[in-house]
Amino acid sequence: MLARQTYHELDHLTDLADGIEAVWASVSAAHSPYRVLPDGRCDLILRFDAADVPGVRPVPVITGPTSTFYDLALTPGAGFAGLRIRPGFFRAVFGFDPGRIAEGHLRGEEALAAQPALAGLVAPVQRVEDLPEQLAAFVRGQVRKSRERPALHVSTLLGAVHASGGRMSIAELARLHGMSPRSLHRLLREATGLPPKLYAEILQFQRAMRLVRDQGLSPAAAALEAGYADQAHMSRAFRRFGGMSPARLSDVTLVTLRG
Amino acid sequence: MAVRFGYGILYVPDVAATVAFYQQAFGLSLRFLHESGLYAELETGSVTLAFAGEAMAEMNGVAIRPVRPADLAPGLEIALVAVDPHDAYDRAVKAGSIPIKPVEQKPWGQLVGYVRDCNGFLVELCSSMNG
Repeated sequence: MLARQTYHELDHLTDLADGIEAVWASVSAAHSPYRVLPDGRCDLILRFDAADVPGVRPVPVITGPTSTFYDLALTPGAGFAGLRIRPGFFRAVFGFDPGRIAEGHLRGEEALAAQPALAGLVAPVQRVEDLPEQLAAFVRGQVRKSRERPALHVSTLLGAVHASGGRMSIAELARLHGMSPRSLHRLLREATGLPPKLYAEILQFQRAMRLVRDQGLSPAAAALEAGYADQAHMSRAFRRFGGMSPARLSDVTLVTLRG
Repeated sequence: MAVRFGYGILYVPDVAATVAFYQQAFGLSLRFLHESGLYAELETGSVTLAFAGEAMAEMNGVAIRPVRPADLAPGLEIALVAVDPHDAYDRAVKAGSIPIKPVEQKPWGQLVGYVRDCNGFLVELCSSMNG
Protein backbone atom coordinates (compact mmCIF):
# COMPACT_ATOMS: atom_id res chain seq x y z
CA MET A 1 0.00 0.00 0.00
CA LEU A 2 1.32 3.40 -0.89
CA ALA A 3 0.55 5.90 1.82
CA ARG A 4 0.55 9.66 1.82
CA GLN A 5 3.14 11.25 4.07
CA THR A 6 3.06 14.64 5.72
CA TYR A 7 5.09 16.03 2.85
CA HIS A 8 4.85 19.78 2.36
CA GLU A 9 6.72 22.44 0.44
CA LEU A 10 7.82 25.84 1.68
CA ASP A 11 7.00 27.98 -1.33
CA HIS A 12 8.60 31.16 0.00
CA LEU A 13 12.03 29.49 -0.11
CA THR A 14 11.91 28.77 -3.85
CA ASP A 15 14.54 30.81 -5.64
CA LEU A 16 15.01 29.76 -9.24
CA ALA A 17 17.77 32.30 -9.93
CA ASP A 18 19.90 30.66 -7.24
CA GLY A 19 19.09 27.10 -8.22
CA ILE A 20 16.43 26.37 -5.59
CA GLU A 21 13.45 24.69 -7.23
CA ALA A 22 11.67 23.74 -4.02
CA VAL A 23 12.34 23.25 -0.33
CA TRP A 24 10.32 20.55 1.40
CA ALA A 25 9.92 18.84 4.75
CA SER A 26 8.35 15.59 5.84
CA VAL A 27 7.95 13.69 9.10
CA SER A 28 6.58 10.19 8.87
CA ALA A 29 3.58 9.41 11.09
CA ALA A 30 3.40 5.64 10.74
CA HIS A 31 5.20 2.53 9.52
CA SER A 32 4.70 2.72 5.80
CA PRO A 33 6.61 2.46 2.58
CA TYR A 34 6.94 5.67 0.63
CA ARG A 35 7.26 5.44 -3.10
CA VAL A 36 9.81 7.78 -4.60
CA LEU A 37 9.09 8.47 -8.27
CA PRO A 38 11.78 9.53 -10.75
CA ASP A 39 11.55 13.23 -11.59
CA GLY A 40 14.97 13.82 -13.13
CA ARG A 41 15.88 16.09 -10.24
CA CYS A 42 18.57 15.84 -7.56
CA ASP A 43 17.91 16.70 -3.93
CA LEU A 44 20.00 17.65 -0.94
CA ILE A 45 18.34 16.02 2.06
CA LEU A 46 18.90 16.17 5.81
CA ARG A 47 17.62 13.03 7.55
CA PHE A 48 16.93 12.82 11.26
CA ASP A 49 14.76 11.04 13.80
CA ALA A 50 12.21 13.44 15.26
CA ALA A 51 12.43 11.65 18.65
CA ASP A 52 16.09 12.73 19.01
CA VAL A 53 15.46 16.47 18.50
CA PRO A 54 16.89 18.65 19.96
CA GLY A 55 20.50 17.55 19.81
CA VAL A 56 20.67 15.04 16.98
CA ARG A 57 22.99 15.65 14.05
CA PRO A 58 21.12 15.25 10.75
CA VAL A 59 22.55 12.89 8.15
CA PRO A 60 23.15 14.61 4.79
CA VAL A 61 22.10 12.77 1.64
CA ILE A 62 22.76 13.90 -1.93
CA THR A 63 20.41 12.06 -4.28
CA GLY A 64 21.46 11.59 -7.89
CA PRO A 65 19.06 11.63 -10.81
CA THR A 66 17.11 8.36 -11.00
CA SER A 67 15.09 6.81 -13.78
CA THR A 68 13.03 4.34 -11.80
CA PHE A 69 10.87 4.27 -8.69
CA TYR A 70 11.91 2.85 -5.34
CA ASP A 71 10.19 2.36 -2.01
CA LEU A 72 11.56 3.78 1.22
CA ALA A 73 10.62 1.88 4.39
CA LEU A 74 9.72 4.66 6.82
CA THR A 75 9.31 4.32 10.55
CA PRO A 76 7.30 6.75 12.72
CA GLY A 77 9.30 9.89 13.39
CA ALA A 78 11.57 9.55 10.35
CA GLY A 79 12.19 13.17 9.47
CA PHE A 80 13.45 14.83 6.31
CA ALA A 81 14.17 18.34 5.18
CA GLY A 82 15.04 18.52 1.52
CA LEU A 83 15.93 20.95 -1.21
CA ARG A 84 15.31 20.14 -4.85
CA ILE A 85 18.09 21.53 -7.00
CA ARG A 86 16.96 23.34 -10.13
CA PRO A 87 18.18 21.35 -13.17
CA GLY A 88 21.54 22.70 -14.31
CA PHE A 89 22.70 23.94 -10.89
CA PHE A 90 24.00 20.66 -9.42
CA ARG A 91 27.63 21.33 -10.26
CA ALA A 92 27.52 24.84 -8.79
CA VAL A 93 26.24 23.42 -5.48
CA PHE A 94 28.33 20.27 -5.15
CA GLY A 95 31.38 20.85 -7.34
CA PHE A 96 30.93 17.70 -9.47
CA ASP A 97 28.56 16.55 -12.20
CA PRO A 98 25.31 14.75 -11.26
CA GLY A 99 26.19 11.89 -13.64
CA ARG A 100 28.71 10.66 -11.05
CA ILE A 101 25.84 9.57 -8.79
CA ALA A 102 23.22 8.76 -11.44
CA GLU A 103 20.77 6.10 -10.18
CA GLY A 104 22.35 6.40 -6.74
CA HIS A 105 23.07 8.71 -3.84
CA LEU A 106 25.74 9.77 -1.37
CA ARG A 107 24.92 9.45 2.30
CA GLY A 108 26.55 10.67 5.52
CA GLU A 109 30.37 10.52 5.37
CA GLU A 110 30.29 9.90 1.60
CA ALA A 111 28.34 13.10 1.06
CA LEU A 112 30.65 15.07 3.36
CA ALA A 113 33.71 13.72 1.56
CA ALA A 114 32.26 14.73 -1.82
CA GLN A 115 31.31 18.23 -0.65
CA PRO A 116 33.09 19.19 2.61
CA ALA A 117 31.08 22.45 2.84
CA LEU A 118 28.11 20.30 3.93
CA ALA A 119 29.77 20.12 7.37
CA GLY A 120 28.10 23.43 8.16
CA LEU A 121 24.68 21.81 7.79
CA VAL A 122 25.11 18.88 10.15
CA ALA A 123 25.35 20.72 13.46
CA PRO A 124 23.02 19.38 16.19
CA VAL A 125 19.42 20.30 15.34
CA GLN A 126 17.77 22.70 17.78
CA ARG A 127 14.52 23.25 15.93
CA VAL A 128 13.37 21.11 13.02
CA GLU A 129 11.59 24.17 11.63
CA ASP A 130 14.95 25.86 11.00
CA LEU A 131 16.29 23.16 8.67
CA PRO A 132 14.56 24.26 5.43
CA GLU A 133 15.89 27.80 5.86
CA GLN A 134 19.40 26.46 6.53
CA LEU A 135 19.29 24.30 3.40
CA ALA A 136 18.19 27.26 1.29
CA ALA A 137 20.93 29.49 2.74
CA PHE A 138 23.55 26.80 2.06
CA VAL A 139 22.55 26.28 -1.58
CA ARG A 140 22.19 30.01 -2.26
CA GLY A 141 25.66 30.58 -0.80
CA GLN A 142 27.21 27.79 -2.88
CA VAL A 143 25.60 29.01 -6.11
CA ARG A 144 26.50 32.67 -5.53
CA LYS A 145 30.19 31.96 -4.95
CA SER A 146 30.46 29.35 -7.70
CA ARG A 147 31.84 29.96 -11.17
CA GLU A 148 29.89 26.93 -12.36
CA ARG A 149 26.44 28.51 -12.75
CA PRO A 150 24.76 27.05 -15.83
CA ALA A 151 25.72 28.99 -18.96
CA LEU A 152 22.91 30.84 -20.71
CA HIS A 153 22.76 28.38 -23.60
CA VAL A 154 22.48 25.45 -21.19
CA SER A 155 19.63 27.14 -19.27
CA THR A 156 17.91 27.82 -22.59
CA LEU A 157 18.27 24.17 -23.64
CA LEU A 158 16.96 22.88 -20.32
CA GLY A 159 14.13 25.43 -20.53
CA ALA A 160 13.08 24.01 -23.89
CA VAL A 161 13.15 20.40 -22.67
CA HIS A 162 11.00 21.30 -19.65
CA ALA A 163 8.61 23.72 -21.40
CA SER A 164 7.85 21.09 -24.04
CA GLY A 165 6.97 18.55 -21.36
CA GLY A 166 9.64 16.18 -22.67
CA ARG A 167 7.79 15.87 -25.99
CA MET A 168 10.59 16.96 -28.33
CA SER A 169 13.20 14.57 -29.69
CA ILE A 170 16.93 15.26 -29.38
CA ALA A 171 17.04 15.82 -33.16
CA GLU A 172 14.24 18.42 -32.95
CA LEU A 173 15.84 20.18 -29.98
CA ALA A 174 19.18 20.30 -31.80
CA ARG A 175 17.58 21.81 -34.90
CA LEU A 176 15.65 24.32 -32.78
CA HIS A 177 18.89 25.59 -31.25
CA GLY A 178 21.06 25.39 -34.37
CA MET A 179 23.29 22.82 -32.68
CA SER A 180 24.49 19.34 -33.59
CA PRO A 181 22.61 16.47 -31.88
CA ARG A 182 25.96 15.35 -30.48
CA SER A 183 26.75 18.69 -28.77
CA LEU A 184 23.22 18.94 -27.44
CA HIS A 185 23.41 15.40 -26.05
CA ARG A 186 26.67 16.16 -24.26
CA LEU A 187 25.45 19.46 -22.75
CA LEU A 188 22.18 17.99 -21.48
CA ARG A 189 23.86 14.87 -20.13
CA GLU A 190 26.40 16.95 -18.19
CA ALA A 191 23.69 19.19 -16.75
CA THR A 192 21.19 16.49 -15.74
CA GLY A 193 23.32 13.38 -15.25
CA LEU A 194 20.96 11.27 -17.36
CA PRO A 195 20.83 10.38 -21.07
CA PRO A 196 18.72 13.21 -22.59
CA LYS A 197 16.11 10.88 -24.14
CA LEU A 198 15.54 9.21 -20.78
CA TYR A 199 15.37 12.60 -19.04
CA ALA A 200 12.72 13.77 -21.51
CA GLU A 201 10.72 10.55 -21.01
CA ILE A 202 10.73 11.14 -17.25
CA LEU A 203 9.42 14.70 -17.73
CA GLN A 204 6.74 13.37 -20.07
CA PHE A 205 5.70 10.77 -17.46
CA GLN A 206 5.59 13.42 -14.71
CA ARG A 207 3.39 15.67 -16.84
CA ALA A 208 1.04 12.82 -17.76
CA MET A 209 0.58 12.02 -14.05
CA ARG A 210 -0.43 15.62 -13.38
CA LEU A 211 -2.79 15.73 -16.33
CA VAL A 212 -4.62 12.68 -14.98
CA ARG A 213 -4.48 13.41 -11.28
CA ASP A 214 -4.48 17.18 -10.85
CA GLN A 215 -5.93 18.44 -14.11
CA GLY A 216 -8.73 15.87 -14.27
CA LEU A 217 -8.13 14.66 -17.82
CA SER A 218 -9.36 11.23 -18.89
CA PRO A 219 -6.52 8.75 -19.57
CA ALA A 220 -7.19 9.05 -23.30
CA ALA A 221 -7.05 12.87 -23.28
CA ALA A 222 -3.96 12.85 -21.03
CA ALA A 223 -2.13 10.42 -23.33
CA LEU A 224 -2.81 12.68 -26.32
CA GLU A 225 -1.77 15.92 -24.58
CA ALA A 226 1.34 14.35 -23.03
CA GLY A 227 2.46 13.16 -26.46
CA TYR A 228 2.04 9.39 -26.14
CA ALA A 229 1.00 7.45 -29.24
CA ASP A 230 -1.99 6.04 -27.38
CA GLN A 231 -3.30 5.13 -23.94
CA ALA A 232 -1.46 1.80 -23.90
CA HIS A 233 1.82 3.66 -24.52
CA MET A 234 1.09 5.92 -21.54
CA SER A 235 0.20 2.93 -19.33
CA ARG A 236 3.53 1.32 -20.17
CA ALA A 237 5.34 4.51 -19.11
CA PHE A 238 3.39 4.55 -15.82
CA ARG A 239 4.44 0.96 -15.12
CA ARG A 240 8.04 1.55 -16.15
CA PHE A 241 8.64 4.78 -14.20
CA GLY A 242 6.08 4.47 -11.42
CA GLY A 243 5.41 0.75 -11.06
CA MET A 244 1.69 1.43 -11.19
CA SER A 245 -1.27 1.82 -13.46
CA PRO A 246 -2.82 5.27 -14.09
CA ALA A 247 -5.75 4.19 -11.83
CA ARG A 248 -3.47 3.93 -8.74
CA LEU A 249 -2.21 7.50 -8.96
CA SER A 250 -4.31 8.90 -6.13
CA ASP A 251 -2.11 7.12 -3.58
CA VAL A 252 1.08 8.87 -4.57
CA THR A 253 2.57 12.13 -3.31
CA LEU A 254 3.54 14.29 -6.26
CA VAL A 255 6.09 16.98 -5.72
CA THR A 256 5.78 20.38 -7.33
CA LEU A 257 8.03 20.74 -10.31
CA ARG A 258 9.31 23.99 -11.63
CA GLY A 259 11.57 24.28 -14.64
CA MET B 1 -20.15 39.38 -25.28
CA ALA B 2 -19.01 36.40 -23.20
CA VAL B 3 -15.29 36.97 -23.59
CA ARG B 4 -12.91 39.61 -24.80
CA PHE B 5 -9.38 39.25 -26.11
CA GLY B 6 -7.30 40.51 -23.17
CA TYR B 7 -3.74 39.25 -23.55
CA GLY B 8 -1.30 37.80 -25.99
CA ILE B 9 1.33 36.01 -23.89
CA LEU B 10 4.56 34.85 -25.48
CA TYR B 11 6.61 32.17 -23.71
CA VAL B 12 10.25 33.25 -23.93
CA PRO B 13 13.56 32.02 -22.48
CA ASP B 14 14.46 35.37 -20.87
CA VAL B 15 11.69 37.81 -19.92
CA ALA B 16 13.95 40.72 -18.90
CA ALA B 17 16.01 40.50 -22.10
CA THR B 18 12.84 40.34 -24.19
CA VAL B 19 11.38 43.42 -22.48
CA ALA B 20 14.62 45.32 -23.09
CA PHE B 21 14.53 44.27 -26.74
CA TYR B 22 10.91 45.38 -27.24
CA GLN B 23 11.70 48.74 -25.66
CA GLN B 24 14.70 49.25 -27.90
CA ALA B 25 13.39 47.76 -31.15
CA PHE B 26 9.76 48.89 -31.07
CA GLY B 27 9.71 51.77 -28.58
CA LEU B 28 7.16 50.03 -26.34
CA SER B 29 7.26 50.69 -22.62
CA LEU B 30 7.02 48.37 -19.66
CA ARG B 31 3.78 48.24 -17.68
CA PHE B 32 4.61 45.54 -15.16
CA LEU B 33 7.48 43.17 -14.33
CA HIS B 34 6.87 40.51 -11.69
CA GLU B 35 9.59 40.24 -9.02
CA SER B 36 10.25 36.62 -10.03
CA GLY B 37 11.42 37.91 -13.41
CA LEU B 38 9.14 35.33 -15.03
CA TYR B 39 6.31 37.59 -16.23
CA ALA B 40 6.03 41.07 -17.73
CA GLU B 41 3.44 43.19 -19.50
CA LEU B 42 4.01 46.00 -21.98
CA GLU B 43 1.92 49.16 -22.39
CA THR B 44 0.02 48.10 -25.49
CA GLY B 45 -3.46 49.49 -24.99
CA SER B 46 -6.64 47.42 -24.75
CA VAL B 47 -4.94 44.13 -25.68
CA THR B 48 -1.93 43.45 -23.49
CA LEU B 49 1.23 41.99 -24.96
CA ALA B 50 2.89 40.00 -22.18
CA PHE B 51 5.89 37.70 -21.80
CA ALA B 52 6.13 34.62 -19.60
CA GLY B 53 9.34 32.75 -18.84
CA GLU B 54 9.36 29.24 -20.28
CA ALA B 55 9.61 27.91 -16.71
CA MET B 56 6.03 29.17 -16.29
CA ALA B 57 4.75 26.57 -18.77
CA GLU B 58 5.63 23.69 -16.47
CA MET B 59 4.23 25.58 -13.46
CA ASN B 60 0.99 26.32 -15.31
CA GLY B 61 0.53 22.68 -16.26
CA VAL B 62 0.85 23.34 -19.98
CA ALA B 63 3.50 22.31 -22.47
CA ILE B 64 4.59 24.40 -25.43
CA ARG B 65 6.87 24.22 -28.44
CA PRO B 66 9.67 26.64 -27.53
CA VAL B 67 10.35 29.40 -30.04
CA ARG B 68 13.94 30.01 -31.14
CA PRO B 69 15.47 32.27 -33.80
CA ALA B 70 17.20 29.31 -35.49
CA ASP B 71 13.89 27.50 -35.98
CA LEU B 72 11.00 28.05 -38.39
CA ALA B 73 8.77 30.83 -37.02
CA PRO B 74 5.61 29.62 -35.24
CA GLY B 75 2.35 30.17 -37.11
CA LEU B 76 1.31 33.45 -35.59
CA GLU B 77 2.41 37.07 -35.76
CA ILE B 78 2.40 40.07 -33.47
CA ALA B 79 1.11 43.04 -35.49
CA LEU B 80 2.31 46.44 -34.24
CA VAL B 81 0.62 49.48 -35.75
CA ALA B 82 3.04 52.34 -36.41
CA VAL B 83 2.52 55.93 -37.53
CA ASP B 84 5.46 55.42 -39.89
CA PRO B 85 6.06 51.72 -40.62
CA HIS B 86 9.24 52.49 -42.64
CA ASP B 87 10.82 54.18 -39.61
CA ALA B 88 9.59 51.44 -37.32
CA TYR B 89 11.12 48.79 -39.57
CA ASP B 90 14.51 50.53 -39.72
CA ARG B 91 14.58 51.02 -35.98
CA ALA B 92 13.65 47.36 -35.35
CA VAL B 93 16.37 46.06 -37.65
CA LYS B 94 18.95 48.43 -36.20
CA ALA B 95 18.11 47.03 -32.74
CA GLY B 96 18.81 43.49 -33.89
CA SER B 97 15.52 42.21 -35.32
CA ILE B 98 15.97 39.76 -38.17
CA PRO B 99 14.72 41.45 -41.37
CA ILE B 100 12.19 39.29 -43.20
CA LYS B 101 10.36 41.57 -45.59
CA PRO B 102 10.80 45.35 -45.95
CA VAL B 103 7.72 47.55 -45.75
CA GLU B 104 5.60 47.66 -48.89
CA GLN B 105 2.14 48.85 -49.77
CA LYS B 106 -0.62 46.24 -49.95
CA PRO B 107 -3.36 46.45 -52.64
CA TRP B 108 -5.74 47.75 -49.97
CA GLY B 109 -3.38 50.64 -49.21
CA GLN B 110 -1.85 49.41 -45.95
CA LEU B 111 1.93 49.56 -45.38
CA VAL B 112 3.25 46.23 -44.09
CA GLY B 113 6.71 44.87 -43.24
CA TYR B 114 7.95 41.83 -41.31
CA VAL B 115 10.81 41.15 -38.91
CA ARG B 116 11.50 38.42 -36.38
CA ASP B 117 12.10 39.43 -32.77
CA CYS B 118 15.01 38.39 -30.51
CA ASN B 119 13.30 35.06 -29.79
CA GLY B 120 12.17 34.24 -33.30
CA PHE B 121 8.52 35.39 -33.16
CA LEU B 122 7.25 37.03 -36.32
CA VAL B 123 6.43 40.72 -35.88
CA GLU B 124 4.43 42.67 -38.47
CA LEU B 125 4.97 46.44 -38.60
CA CYS B 126 2.04 48.11 -40.32
CA SER B 127 0.07 51.29 -40.77
CA SER B 128 -3.39 51.69 -39.27
CA MET B 129 -6.40 50.81 -41.42
CA ASN B 130 -8.61 53.18 -39.43
CA GLY B 131 -7.05 56.41 -40.56
